Amino acid sequence: MLPLAFGLGACWELDQEVLDGVTADDITNSTNPNLINVLKASAYSRIVGSWGGHNSIWSIHEVSSDEMAIPQKGADWEDGGQWIRMHRHQWDAKEESFNNTWNYCFTAIGEINNLLIQYPDVEALTAELRVLRALSYLWLIDTFGNVPIVDENTTGGNPSNKSRAEVFAFIESSIKDNMDLLVKENTKTTINYYTAQAMLAKLYINAQIYTGTARWAEAEAAAEEVINSGKYSLSSNFFANFSERNGGSTENILTLPYDQNNAQGFNLPQMTLHYLSQNTYNLQEQPWNGYASLEEFYNNFEDDDVRKNSFLEGPQFSSDGTRLNDISAEAGDPDGQPLTFTPNINMLTPNAFRQAGVRVGKFEFASGAASSLNNDYPLIRLGDIILIKAEAEFRQGKTGDALTSVNMIRERAGVDPHAALTLDLIFEERGFEMFAEASRRTDMIRFGKWNQPWWEKPQSEAFRGLFPIPQQAINANPNLTQNPGY
Amino acid sequence: MTNYLPNLKSLALVFALTLGAMLAVNAQTRSISGTVLDASFGDPVPGATVLVKGTTRGTATDVDGKFTLPLQVGDQVLVVSFVGYLTQEVEIGNQSTITISLEEDIQSLEEAVVIGYGSQDKKEITSAVVGVKPEDFNRGNVTNPAQLLQGKVAGLSITRPGGNPNNGFNVRLRGLSTFGANSSPLIVLDGVIGASLDNVDPNDIQSIDVLKDGSAAAIYGARGSSGVILITTTKQGKKDGTTNVTVNSFATLDQATNLIPILSADEFVARGGTDFGSDTDWRNELIDDAMSFTTNASISGSFGNSNYMAAVNYRDNNGIVNGVGNERLNTRLNLSQGALNNRLRFNVNLSFTNVARESINDAAFRYATIYNPTAPIYENTEDAIQRFGGYFQRDLFDFYNPVALANQQKFVGEVKSNLLSYRAEFDILTNLTVTAQYSQDRRNELEGNFWSMQDYQVGLGATGSAQRITRDRSQRIFESTLRYETDLTDKLNMTLLGGAGMQFTKNQGFNARVRQYLFDLGWDNLGAGAIRVGNNTEVSSYANEDQLNSLFGRANFNWDNTFFVSASVRAETYSGFGENNQTGVFPAFSVGSDFTQIFDMGVFSQFKPRVSYGVTGNLPPSPTLALGVYGNGNRIDLDGDPLTQNDIFVGIVQNSNPNKDLKWETKKEFNVGVDFGMLNNKITGSVDYYTRNISDLLFNVPVATGAPNPFDPGRFNTASSTWINLADLRAAGFEFAASVNEIGKGMLKWTPTLNFTIYDKTTIESLSAGDLGFEELRFATPGSPGQNNNPIIYNRVGENLGDIYGPRLLGYTEDGQYILSTTSPDEYEKLGNGLPKGEFGFTNSFRWNQWSLNFFLRGAWGHDLYNSYRGFYENADPASNTWNSVITDNTPTNPLVVSTPTFNSSYVEDAAFIRLDNAELGYNVKTNSPNLSSLRVYFAAQNLFTITNYTGVDPEVRTNDSENNDAFTSALSPGIERRNTYFQTRSFTLGVTVNFK
Repeated sequence: MLPLAFGLGACWELDQEVLDGVTADDITNSTNPNLINVLKASAYSRIVGSWGGHNSIWSIHEVSSDEMAIPQKGADWEDGGQWIRMHRHQWDAKEESFNNTWNYCFTAIGEINNLLIQYPDVEALTAELRVLRALSYLWLIDTFGNVPIVDENTTGGNPSNKSRAEVFAFIESSIKDNMDLLVKENTKTTINYYTAQAMLAKLYINAQIYTGTARWAEAEAAAEEVINSGKYSLSSNFFANFSERNGGSTENILTLPYDQNNAQGFNLPQMTLHYLSQNTYNLQEQPWNGYASLEEFYNNFEDDDVRKNSFLEGPQFSSDGTRLNDISAEAGDPDGQPLTFTPNINMLTPNAFRQAGVRVGKFEFASGAASSLNNDYPLIRLGDIILIKAEAEFRQGKTGDALTSVNMIRERAGVDPHAALTLDLIFEERGFEMFAEASRRTDMIRFGKWNQPWWEKPQSEAFRGLFPIPQQAINANPNLTQNPGY
Repeated sequence: MTNYLPNLKSLALVFALTLGAMLAVNAQTRSISGTVLDASFGDPVPGATVLVKGTTRGTATDVDGKFTLPLQVGDQVLVVSFVGYLTQEVEIGNQSTITISLEEDIQSLEEAVVIGYGSQDKKEITSAVVGVKPEDFNRGNVTNPAQLLQGKVAGLSITRPGGNPNNGFNVRLRGLSTFGANSSPLIVLDGVIGASLDNVDPNDIQSIDVLKDGSAAAIYGARGSSGVILITTTKQGKKDGTTNVTVNSFATLDQATNLIPILSADEFVARGGTDFGSDTDWRNELIDDAMSFTTNASISGSFGNSNYMAAVNYRDNNGIVNGVGNERLNTRLNLSQGALNNRLRFNVNLSFTNVARESINDAAFRYATIYNPTAPIYENTEDAIQRFGGYFQRDLFDFYNPVALANQQKFVGEVKSNLLSYRAEFDILTNLTVTAQYSQDRRNELEGNFWSMQDYQVGLGATGSAQRITRDRSQRIFESTLRYETDLTDKLNMTLLGGAGMQFTKNQGFNARVRQYLFDLGWDNLGAGAIRVGNNTEVSSYANEDQLNSLFGRANFNWDNTFFVSASVRAETYSGFGENNQTGVFPAFSVGSDFTQIFDMGVFSQFKPRVSYGVTGNLPPSPTLALGVYGNGNRIDLDGDPLTQNDIFVGIVQNSNPNKDLKWETKKEFNVGVDFGMLNNKITGSVDYYTRNISDLLFNVPVATGAPNPFDPGRFNTASSTWINLADLRAAGFEFAASVNEIGKGMLKWTPTLNFTIYDKTTIESLSAGDLGFEELRFATPGSPGQNNNPIIYNRVGENLGDIYGPRLLGYTEDGQYILSTTSPDEYEKLGNGLPKGEFGFTNSFRWNQWSLNFFLRGAWGHDLYNSYRGFYENADPASNTWNSVITDNTPTNPLVVSTPTFNSSYVEDAAFIRLDNAELGYNVKTNSPNLSSLRVYFAAQNLFTITNYTGVDPEVRTNDSENNDAFTSALSPGIERRNTYFQTRSFTLGVTVNFK
């Protein structure tokens, strides 16, 4: 026993080795030249993350707007009523999707801050990372508004909220102070100078909402910088921007490079398609029959608008051309068993028909697709920037310039040009163009439509323009204050 | 390698010479011979010791109980003794032959109880320790050592809902002691700490001792919080020079029982169900009576200072579903050898186990219950034959042909484990012994998973998929102790123990899964799967190792067999703790006194009150939790061009934030009890009351994402959670156990044994540490479809752990809609709790001549269960056109409920039950054969009946949520019977045990 006791004395304190992972020290001590790029890409992969999945930031943008809903089919999609509450603007701070959105943004911010500490002197990298962090804040200011500002210099314990105006100033300075250090090449999946300008355009166009002070001219200028760069052009085929192989799109400015194997998280076929649609696209997994578009929104599209193909409507077929037949169609469904996506949705809850509602078809569902798509998701697209410019011009009284911009977009869509513009027409055009691109909620707020009633949604209170700070985030950080009204 | 054999030979020679000399000296003229018999049966007692009183001269009886002893002048009295019998003294007088009848002493208080690092006389025990002997074990087809004890020890809860032979038992001592993975008691097998139960066959067990309270378990320090179970295997033959061969063989028939009633095909169609035109009893198609076979053979014996025991145990257990089975071969060799006049003792215990198991997707049980009863099993269409292998399938949500599911997915595993343990003891002085033990416990598992190309659930979309997984675990322990015993005064005895130990654990494994096959080659040829990245594929490996250092000591005092004191302390350093908190110290103290030695206690032959207090710990389940390890992220193609491959790397992401303060969980337990014996120990028993406080539980806690990490200054939280120590839990309980030894006259003897526990359920006093933590933790949603979002188990500060919350059902509208008290989860009411208020076990053993009858009743009360089958499948809602409905005694039928199934109070049922757990009728055939010492034939039944109001599959307590694989939250959601529960089974066993001389 004694030798053993002496042996123990020599090694009483123990070091834990890590065999199958690395620690922060390993990263700091590494000399691998690829590491810095991989770490940067890892920070980007946080942004790719769960954007396009169910229960995500995309979900809360879409389902809370007049574009989409998730009708409850009996037990299916009841899910505690959260998607009904989301659509009716009756959500509370405990919705899981809010917490997911919060963590989605802040994990990227934490990761970026750690990298900024690790590589403080690599100028091009730190500039890019600070703008990337601003992108997370661009989502945060839009959804939760008053959020804590955490940068690499933050110390101490749990941070407290900043006002939306302070967050605005932080985003603005983060972009402006760093964008001149960014590359000017068309780098679709990373931040470049024009991405930064586009972010500024999106920030300024909403300045009145975010800060109370309009910044239309700056929005216009930033949009113009992107449009006039010559790096981007509208695709003649609108859907080339959303196809499975859309990496070559001339129009997409910043995309999330999803890949069914390497970068998963874009689950649209599962989210929107009917169970039987598995046979239409030979999908690897059975879809969940959830997200559908509202009838009124769909009917707004002119029939010859190519963008109306953003919806899947009408009879559905198997890949071999046979008509799909849903033997479990509800007895009361007037469309019977042959599977047909009908614009009319009989009710939001509790017993929507299984085949009711047109589905999101804007993104190509390639045959044999996995539950996560290969299509890159366009976060920022030239079509959007052109419409931002048009809106900024129109709001400054430059109606002629605005009309030209809007008609550029309409021409590509194969619809007649407008003779004159109104704000409502711009709002409508944004709806046609930006469907399913997580833009509608922000647009509705900016155009003053957000609190109005629509299908299965009553008039909502003014404070619903901001989502609540997630309860879980407040539990983890008691220094956070809830947004007004919640 | 040094050859020790010549040394051993010379040692043996020295022994033989010494022995011979001693015998020569003692050669005498007069002698006495006789026979020692069992007083009850009149059978000879071989191996009994016959001594001349006041001398060291004596002998042992032979196989026929006979002895011959040389006498010297002045020899007057013989002392005859044997384990399990009362010692008897006989006057020699002038007799030259003598017959001595020994009375059995089953309830001997001199019984030794195994405690940590040694054993103690039961009378000296001052903490809550219970020993269980083979005659008390459960009967029937017992496949797992834990099952031997089910219901036998107050406070030890052992459950296995459903009858799946591949499922292990959930073992909990005195309720929950951790949120995490180590909720089962620590197993110490023949002194090997943390051994796997795979290493021992139930048939080879000589005794099981349960260290129930914190004081007894504290000698195991940071591994003792969940209690300790000490298992001792049969060591050797009892008597010198003999060989004992035992063969035990039995066959078991398993049948499904207690199936939930469902609608027939006609009733289903009448309710509006989709009619596919057939009539299929899906459960009947899925299940079949199953036969299982078991054979145990052992040989044991001794010669000189050598003892041996070798055993082979073969068990082939088949499930009630084709494709479920468990075949096990265990081999054991226990050897001990004494040297230097037995001052030096060597022990070698070797155990090898091979287990081959096969299982199906448990969802088949659910689909067999709810699949459309008008659907045929097969469909003779080109499409069905080509895509589904001829099985009937339809494109409906959550709708899979159960027979196809059971046949077209396969999950097998082969576990090879071995436990090698070497031990040497040396008596430096007669009262000073040093011991060293080295053990290696190794377990290797090879798993294969397979989804046919025609499996509609997974394989069809994946075009066939297969997987191979290996897991390897090795644990090496080196421990050394020093033990000293002395009489300080003529009344005060002291025993001191000191020790040190080191434990090294390594886990490693490999996992590969591919898809897209041309033929269903499965895991035998993963290379034939074309796709190796993306969905339904995997390539991964893992490894971790850790070290635990220990120093420990214990002192026991016995004053005149009247007052007893024990104190111990263990200090441990574990590599997996945070660097700021590496060493934990775990003390314990206990006292007791036998009042019958001081006062006249009337009917009491023993009355020993005792008080104890002990601190134990619990280790984190993974040694790297404190470090915030970075794991694998996405594959990153740096230039985005898939044609250039030399710039593709896997990103790194931090999955939890580091915590340099992370440490062990702590349990402080106070126990007060009384051991008693009455009417000259005809009645024996004990009562115990305990309170325990558990603190610093390990939990992954949400933190301010992106904010500075307080546990790793200078860095930010990149994960949304950090492992910290948090929470305080308080629990208490009352335990009672009593046994009456052999009531009755003549040949009919009845021995009843009762134990019960009343729990003061675990209360959550806090779920936080500083700013971090929770006001409540909600877990376990009922599930898909539609009930995915509102958890039903609430763990609230100030309330009991695992309360079931939901809306109260106030009634139904006339057309059958629910009237619920609320739809808001914050207004949910407490509807029940899944953990029991009490548990009991009642053993009855009868003996009549050669017959024996045992039956054992077991039950639990005060626990509720969420009946998931009712919660999803009893309403006549639109979905009931697709899925069959259950119709239990609790299903409302007038009116039928038409609401969409929503969790509410009506699905939470009182699950109190009494079960005839096992019964056995045995007959000892009288034998006069010179080669046969006994022959026993027995018939046993398990799970004969259950009395309960619960209408689900099995009212057994659910300590964990079977659908929650996260070890850290599974135990926080008790009380849910999931729909995939394996059906209950009833078993009948016929067997024979033969002992050869």
